[in-house]
Amino acid sequence: MSSKRDLFSKYAVKVDLVKPKRTVFIIRPENVRPLFKDLIEQHGYESFYISTIVGTDLPGEGKIRLDYYVVLLPEEETIVVRTYLDRNNPVIDTLVDIVPGVFNGECETHDLLGIFFRGNPYLKRGFFVSLDIAEKGIYPLRKDSGV
Amino acid sequence: MKRPKLVELVLQNLLRKPATIQYPREKTPVEEDSRGIQYADLTKCTGCTLCALECPADAIKMTPIPQGYEIPAKNPKKIYPLIDYLKCVFCYRCVKICPVNAFIVTSKYDIAGPIQINSEEYSLSTVKKVSG
Amino acid sequence: MVCNMTVTKVVEIPLVTTEVPIGPQHPALHEPLLLKVYADGEEVVKVEVNTGYNHRGVEKLCEKNTFYRDIFIAGRVCGICNTVHANCYVRALEYLLDIKPNNRARYLRVLAMELERIHSHMIINAIMAEIVGFETLFMQIMLDRERVMKAKEILTGNRVLGDYMMIGGVRRDIDEVKRARIRDLLVKLKPRIEFYKKVFEEDETIIKRLVEVGLLKPVDVTSHSLVGPVARGSGVRIDSRASDKYDAYDEIPFNVITRTEGDSWARMMVRWDETLEALNMCLYILEKLPADGNPVPDEKRLPRVIPQGESYARVEAQRGELTYYVMSDGKSTYPYRVKIRTPSFNNIINSAFMYVGLSLADVPVALTSLDPCISCMERVIVIDLEKNTKYKLTLKELAGGRV
Repeated sequence: MSSKRDLFSKYAVKVDLVKPKRTVFIIRPENVRPLFKDLIEQHGYESFYISTIVGTDLPGEGKIRLDYYVVLLPEEETIVVRTYLDRNNPVIDTLVDIVPGVFNGECETHDLLGIFFRGNPYLKRGFFVSLDIAEKGIYPLRKDSGV
Repeated sequence: MKRPKLVELVLQNLLRKPATIQYPREKTPVEEDSRGIQYADLTKCTGCTLCALECPADAIKMTPIPQGYEIPAKNPKKIYPLIDYLKCVFCYRCVKICPVNAFIVTSKYDIAGPIQINSEEYSLSTVKKVSG
Repeated sequence: MVCNMTVTKVVEIPLVTTEVPIGPQHPALHEPLLLKVYADGEEVVKVEVNTGYNHRGVEKLCEKNTFYRDIFIAGRVCGICNTVHANCYVRALEYLLDIKPNNRARYLRVLAMELERIHSHMIINAIMAEIVGFETLFMQIMLDRERVMKAKEILTGNRVLGDYMMIGGVRRDIDEVKRARIRDLLVKLKPRIEFYKKVFEEDETIIKRLVEVGLLKPVDVTSHSLVGPVARGSGVRIDSRASDKYDAYDEIPFNVITRTEGDSWARMMVRWDETLEALNMCLYILEKLPADGNPVPDEKRLPRVIPQGESYARVEAQRGELTYYVMSDGKSTYPYRVKIRTPSFNNIINSAFMYVGLSLADVPVALTSLDPCISCMERVIVIDLEKNTKYKLTLKELAGGRV
């Protein structure tokens, strides 16, 4: 268990906490993919699953926050991998080819918040929200979207 | 392989009377305290509009009490919550949040019908009509 | 006579596979979901999951409503799992507020959630019986399910939508008469559940249709983020009741059921065993319900503004791990962000790989064994998602090797 956490600490810029007692590792966006690659290489696919991807728009800071909620197995401990993206150009490397379970989360976040996952061939605008909104280039969960 | 006695069960059920209820000819039995329609007791209501603000379904609209009814003095704005039962989700948030406990609760549930139904008739029946 | 026939007719064998849409209006599926099945003869080579027939956009709606109104909105994300949704959201708020309900309230919450688990598992097993063509069993299970619905009505005041959770406790207490009535109903239900479990174990029709259909390996489960009975049916022990120990799950004894077979049958059997576990838990709660004060908080006195912060609650819904993320900016009575991730969102969308290699008739069985809850899935995520296959190799191999 400690070794898995060490791996996260290695990449972490800062460590935080989400209630109740979920450790947050804030890492740089370019490190997300290497982190999960290392995790799979060292501990295998059966040592974790990515439960949720939460994107939050923070217009005050000009950023979009992206959280990966990872459940470590078999102890079932939830930890958070958090990264901040530039709001005007939110791009991050995809995980879909190494962890297929992020497929739904990435597609959802792309359409609702406009985060572009580089290398994910399945991203398509206009299949989450109805087409009339998607065509206007509106991302509904952005705070200034006016939806 | 041993088989469970499903055939026996089917035969038993053949002799039993049907388990279904012929609604609406026959009423479905409900608990006395199940959440049915609720309406404001106008002798208690102060017209504070808290229930209308808290309603998750926006089913409550504060409406003036019509002419010809005795309006209690504690209701200065002379308004009462009119519940649209077709919008209401029967969560009883209004009942629980009311500062003067003005809501009367019932277990009446069969409100579906061709006409618009709201709490007007029920609420107004709680206050006396004044002549003229 | 030897006939020198010239060729008059040419039968063209199409090199492409046949596309069979299953759903969104299909007798086998009770909810609007489209499975675009590409079949080669009878064999499925690729499945696309197409959804979006039911979307409402609940996350945005939650941002536009107050914290307290959201409790009821969360409860209406899904009909069958409404108390777990409300519980998860309410607990996320409680983490922010640092409120802990008293023991009686915690026990009553578990009672409501476990009653819901019983009836949810019964309905999906009934639907499975119907899908394999066993309608008598469907009717029988639904008849006995009414007992649980009655128990839930006695406890929460409504058959389906309980609206039972409130910050700091539950919304109505239970007295001795009600306790005895619920216990009576559950005691009568227990032999029935054992009987149905036996039917699923021994009946030839069911075994022929379910065993070895829709196999899932443990490694596929974790890499595709599948949760709940689907994961436990493949031997992956994921149960947030046991790991997070929320509410009274730390005090009530129960077993986490896992099976190693990993097929549709194993998933249904996990559900029957969990139903029995849930029944025992309910009986335990009714037996040992603590009496440490009033479990019903005064809703008028609860704080209107939630302190700044973030919280992430997990709950083991009937279909798997359900998570709510709530962020409050501490200034207004509206949440800044609510993120709902339901189990069906993972289980249905990410599992398209499972159908490859099945015969067409097995697709509804495999889908039902995942316990699809489309309203859960879609209201939450606002999607019309198209699953392009990640298994192009498999497709080519299967199609190429055959034609």
